[in-house]
Amino acid sequence: MKVDAVKTLNEIKRKLHDSGDVKSRTVQFFGTQISLCYIAPITDNELLNNTLIYPLINFSDEIKGKDIVDILYDKVLANQEVTIFTDLQSAVDKMLAGNTLILVDCAEKILGCDIEKITVRAVAEPPTSVVIKGPREGFTESLKYNLALIRKRVKSDDFVVKMLELGKMTKTQIAVVYYDSIADKEVVKDVLKRLNSIKIDGVIDSHYLVSYLQRNKNSLFKQVGDTEKPDILVGKMLEGRIGIIVDGSPIVLTLPFILLEDLQNSDDYYTQPIRVTFVRALRLVGVILAVLLPGVYIALELYHYKILPTEFLITIMNSTQGIPFSPFIEILFVILLFEILYEANIRMPQYFGMAMSIVGALILGETAVNAGLVSPPAVMIVALSGITFYIIPGQASQFSILRLLGVVIGATLGIYGILLFCVFILSYLSNFDSYKSAYLAPTAPYIEEDQKDSYMRKTIDEMKKRPRSISNNKENNNRR
Amino acid sequence: MKINYRQLSIITFMSFIALKFLALPSLLYLESKNMSMFVSLALMIIDGLYVFVILDLMKKSGEKNIYEFMKNCLGTMLTKIILILLILKYALVVGNISKGLEFFVVENLYSEYSWFVFVLPLMILIGFMVYKGVRNIARVSEMVCWAIVIGLIYIALKALSGIDLLSFLPFFKDGVQPLFNSAYIHLSWFGSATFLFMLFGFVDFRSEKKSKMIKYVIFAILIVQLLYFVFYGLFEITSPTHNYCISDISQFSSTYSAINELSWLVVSMWIVAQAVQLALYSYCLAQALKFLFDIKGNILPIIIVILYLFMWSFIGENTVRMERIFFSSFASIVTLIAQYILPIILEIVYAIKNKTKRNKYKIERVKDERKEKNRDKKEIEVNI
Repeated sequence: MKVDAVKTLNEIKRKLHDSGDVKSRTVQFFGTQISLCYIAPITDNELLNNTLIYPLINFSDEIKGKDIVDILYDKVLANQEVTIFTDLQSAVDKMLAGNTLILVDCAEKILGCDIEKITVRAVAEPPTSVVIKGPREGFTESLKYNLALIRKRVKSDDFVVKMLELGKMTKTQIAVVYYDSIADKEVVKDVLKRLNSIKIDGVIDSHYLVSYLQRNKNSLFKQVGDTEKPDILVGKMLEGRIGIIVDGSPIVLTLPFILLEDLQNSDDYYTQPIRVTFVRALRLVGVILAVLLPGVYIALELYHYKILPTEFLITIMNSTQGIPFSPFIEILFVILLFEILYEANIRMPQYFGMAMSIVGALILGETAVNAGLVSPPAVMIVALSGITFYIIPGQASQFSILRLLGVVIGATLGIYGILLFCVFILSYLSNFDSYKSAYLAPTAPYIEEDQKDSYMRKTIDEMKKRPRSISNNKENNNRR
Repeated sequence: MKINYRQLSIITFMSFIALKFLALPSLLYLESKNMSMFVSLALMIIDGLYVFVILDLMKKSGEKNIYEFMKNCLGTMLTKIILILLILKYALVVGNISKGLEFFVVENLYSEYSWFVFVLPLMILIGFMVYKGVRNIARVSEMVCWAIVIGLIYIALKALSGIDLLSFLPFFKDGVQPLFNSAYIHLSWFGSATFLFMLFGFVDFRSEKKSKMIKYVIFAILIVQLLYFVFYGLFEITSPTHNYCISDISQFSSTYSAINELSWLVVSMWIVAQAVQLALYSYCLAQALKFLFDIKGNILPIIIVILYLFMWSFIGENTVRMERIFFSSFASIVTLIAQYILPIILEIVYAIKNKTKRNKYKIERVKDERKEKNRDKKEIEVNI
């Protein structure tokens, strides 16, 4: 490749369809024309002036007989991260990622200098993983910053970062991170193979990769873990998991994933174990209430009212008297109302939030009850079930569908149907093995050692081994 | 798709309590009166011992399934005959559990509805679990086992205060003969270890701890005995009229009331136990059919089993009474052979075959050694 400072520059501009944000500067360097080509919005202007243009203009050393490119590489840009390109396409690709290209007239190479302007929001506590105690740093949309947040916590030569580029049009940077001696080599190989085989025009967010990484593509249940916090990611990597960071996304994917992970919270490891055990039991009860409570209520009201204690039955009968709808329609109506309010609430500007709550909970709910359209127990049951969804926010969308199924089954088959439904779900989940890890582990299969951090939690010093529920390097199983 | 030793212990536990809380306690009382508990205790202990005999065979079979193992020991013809017997045994258990579940559901929870409404979802569930295999059944059992145990203990303990201890006296008023008669007549309700035959080659013995299996078997026996103790203590001479032990304990105990009782929810947990047990024996039935007719895939035997399950919905209560009589005669012989005689025969044949093999091996080794000696002698002579 022979570079012509002007012609090559024009060729680059033509390649980029004369985009308005492609800028160039031309300087004379000991009589040789040098063109600098960059994309203005992603180039740090100050760095460009201070580290490129100023040194080029003011360079005064002897250059007798030396190649200009070598002088630039060795002396002028010695402090910079410089890449040498021998073909135009790879140089343009790098320019699109934030490099400034240095086109030296008559040279055979193009130099690329990384002076990318990283536009990133400040590191803040992610709204989905708020903690009372513990680190509050959250990932941002910048891959570099995210890697920095991890590196800050990981100072081991065992930590591996594998870089990939995905998306024909977006050329998104992906980092696969893991501990070499802890992660299962086969799982790492499998994940990398799957990622490398992805053919897609763009990766906008990490969730674009989920369907490529999960085994049961059409399943309702989540099969890939995610986190917005570096401390959680490091904790998971120490157990043998692999992290997948996508440039432009604050959510890092983790693999393998087991159901129990959503029952755990980063807070759990910074709080008293007894309290954690209690809270985890509450979460489990919450899951059961969230999914089954409306279905069980309908089943009891329609088929098995004899089961209820007399006083309770009388209270319910008094409350439901005069309601024009059947319990099934009534509950379905309240669930629908709840789901609409929820969708509207999360997408509404924050300053409407309070008004929305008042309109939703007080006016709509209260009026519906007063008008005799729905009964107070129905509102209470759906509200309780709705609130308990968010005890485990990671599974809220799945629970919402399961709750609807539970309601339909409760209305058609009663308690018998609900019980069969539960067995079916358990049976279905029992087959979900994600990357050599059983989805319901350490409950099914039961792994005794892992009970120290399952539904209960023991102190950190008692957890001497890495969990066996996660496929990891079994030879390096000791945490000590 | 192997299961570990703990999972095996749990499904053994589930198999041991299967069928025990339906009509069995009332039927036992007909012959053995207030000594019925001894009959069930003795037969369950024998079942427990047979678990270890079959497990020993399972270990000896290595990676082979029951068909290959029996074919090696007994030949194809005998193997097929035994498979037919096992199919009969599994089919009887599947039918019995499904009928028990039907009466439990229809009589206790949905008196105004037809069982046909409820059998379809059950068929889907069982079909799915059987299709997914024994590991799936084992994992589900692992999760529901303790909820079922807590439910059973709760029912027993809550009714414990209403029992009359004197009703168990005097001991052995009619001698021991009625107990033997009762044991033989109701043998088909036992034989809880027969399901193990279909797990040959599916168990990972690396984590084997015999004590674990012993604990689960003893625990199963104790739970059954506790419920029987409560049942006979509560109902005394009226026991034969109470055909559904588990629901009747809750329904007629003085500490419960027939309606307005939240503990019915606990009783409902029994449905889960029945479903899992049904899946286990349906799996065994499908496997046995697969071996007998040399069916390649899993779908066809599962469809046959599901249709068989559906067929039981057409059998009315009178037919069930007839079936119970049938159970008490023909089924006892099937159980006697399938569980109690077959393992012993297999052990003996395996030992003889192994001994013959070992002897053959010894003879061949001696022959080889002699040949080598002769060759050496000849070589020496040639050299000389």
